[in-house]
This record gives sequence, structure tokens and C-alpha cells, in this order.
Amino acid sequence: MSLQATHALSRPWLIGLREAVPLLGGYVPVAISFGLIAIQAGFSTWEAVIISTLVYAGASQFLFVGMVAAGAPLWLVVAMTLLINARHVVYAPNLAPWLTTSRWWPWLMHGLTDQVFALAHTRLPQMPASQRLGWFTGAALLAWASWIGGTALGAVAGEELTTRWPLLGEVMPFALPALFLVLVAPRFTNRRWSLALGSAIAIAALLTVTGLTNAAIPLAAACGALCFYLVKFGSTTRGNRDE
Amino acid sequence: MSSALWLAVLASAAGTLLMRLLPLLWMRRRLERLDDGDDGLEAMPQWLGILGPLMIAAVLGVSLVPKTTDAISWLATAIGVAATLAVWWRLRSLGWPVAAGVAAYGVVVMVLG
Repeated sequence: MSLQATHALSRPWLIGLREAVPLLGGYVPVAISFGLIAIQAGFSTWEAVIISTLVYAGASQFLFVGMVAAGAPLWLVVAMTLLINARHVVYAPNLAPWLTTSRWWPWLMHGLTDQVFALAHTRLPQMPASQRLGWFTGAALLAWASWIGGTALGAVAGEELTTRWPLLGEVMPFALPALFLVLVAPRFTNRRWSLALGSAIAIAALLTVTGLTNAAIPLAAACGALCFYLVKFGSTTRGNRDE
Repeated sequence: MSSALWLAVLASAAGTLLMRLLPLLWMRRRLERLDDGDDGLEAMPQWLGILGPLMIAAVLGVSLVPKTTDAISWLATAIGVAATLAVWWRLRSLGWPVAAGVAAYGVVVMVLG
């Protein structure tokens, strides 16, 4: 092992920071948009930043600000925000087998977004237990800081930024699908998983095209799971040829 | 912001945090019930272990849809996906495939856009 690699392993949070960099391509442009929209909806810069810091959930924040600006009852705003975020309940249990006994983990779950989960679900099982807390802290804090910083930037100078560099906001978000692609690709290990994953991707894209973005993730994942079990049933009746 | 609006922000934040945190505590209890020698993965209900990767696939599906759904954006997405997969197939790493995908996507958008 090289000296540089040994040095990097002794600082797992640095590895986490480095591996979370692709998330910034998706987070910063969307956070800038949120900051801009929050200002246009009548929130101050500090209020937008506080919402991003405390709620820290992209789609639901847009909905929150939009519904408040439209004059919706606040109980409904809160209910809809929580409904959109309900998919997060399956994330932490999926990571739990690889989490250590540290008391920091529950608090670090504040940073468990869709993207951080996708990254952690792939990377945590690949590293020694002693590295995991540091790695997750580095990755989650960078993602959180970029979301808060992007919101502040959007609130202060969002209009000027989007006018001056319109392509930046269009090109950089592709970092997110590219990252997810790299995380999902190794899971196409057999026909059963390929069918389940492929159908989840296709259904989620289809629902998003038809405007059902918020329902797309849980619905597509449920359909993928159904495919997974149906293929098992089919292969069992044919003598487990697909297993 | 009014006091009521602050309360709504705090309720949304607390609710979101609890949805991320409480399932972890539940799962930790399940894991603690196992003997030391057992594999932690066995404590996870099977459906939950299947749902994890499928949620990531669904997030991929959502993120693949471009903001402006015109022919150029779809073409750029297809070429970006191909470039990402090609570099991943060769290197099996995390960073370079993403960089290659974004670069390919950006070139298509800039040349044809």
C-alpha cells in the first residue's frame, strides 16, 4: 500500500468528503433554485437558509414554500411535507447492519437524504467498521453544507447567477443520475435483480415524465419489489432455473 | 415569518428527522436481540433489504428525466448515460465515470443546444 493511500485511510472523513463531491453537481444548482424561489415567495434570506438547514429535504422544501406562498393551511403544509418525506423511513434500517455502536449515528441521520443513502448503501459495506463513522460524517456534512450554501447563494444572487450562466444549472445536475448509475450498475448481478431494478428505473422515469415526481420513488420501488417476487414465483414453478 | 409559520417549519423539520432516525433505533433493537456471532443482515426483514437497492434505482429513474424534456435533452441524457457506463465498465470507480458522464452530457447540450 502506498504512503498516500495509508494516509487517506487514516482520515476516513476525507475519503467521505472526496466521494461526496459528485453530489455537489446536483445539490448546488437545485439549492440555488430553492433559495431564489423562497425569496420570490416572500421569505427572507435567513429564513430560506434556516429551512434548508433544519428540514433538509429538497422536494418537500419546494412544496413547503410553494404552499405557504399560495396561502394553504399550515397543518396541510406540514402534512404534505411529511408525506413526501415518508420514503425516508426505509433508509436507516438498510444501513443499520453496517453502523457501529457510536451514539453519533442517530444524529447523523439528519443527513440521510436520498443521495447520501444511495452512496452510503454502496460504500459502507465495503469499508472496515472503524472507518464508517468518519466516512459518513465527511460525506453527509459536505452534502448538507452544499445544500445550505447553495440556498444562501440562490437567495442572495440566484437571479444573476441563472441569467449569467444558464448552462451551468442545466449541465451540472447530470452528476446526480451519473452517480446513481454507478451505484446501481453493480447490482445487475442476475436476471431477477436486473428485471426488478430495470422496472423500478423505468417506472420512476415514466411517473416523473407524467408529473408524478413525488410519488415516483416509493411507487417505482414497490413495483420493482413486486417484479422481484413475481420472478421468484415464476422461476420456482419452472424449477428455479433463474436463481 | 409569523410564529405559526416558524412552528410549521419546526414541525416539518422534527417530523423529517424522526422519520430518518426512529427506524434506525428500531433496527438497532432488532440487531441487539441477535447473538454476537450472527450476521447483522439476518436481522433485517427480507422485504426491507430488497427495497433498499430498489429505492436507489427509483431515485435514478427520477433523476434521469431532464428538466426540459426536448429531443436534445433526451439525446444528451442517453449519451451521458452511455459515457458514464463505458468509463465505469473500464475503471469500476466512482469519480471518473461521473465526470465523464457530465462532460459528455455538457458537450451535447452545448453543441446542439
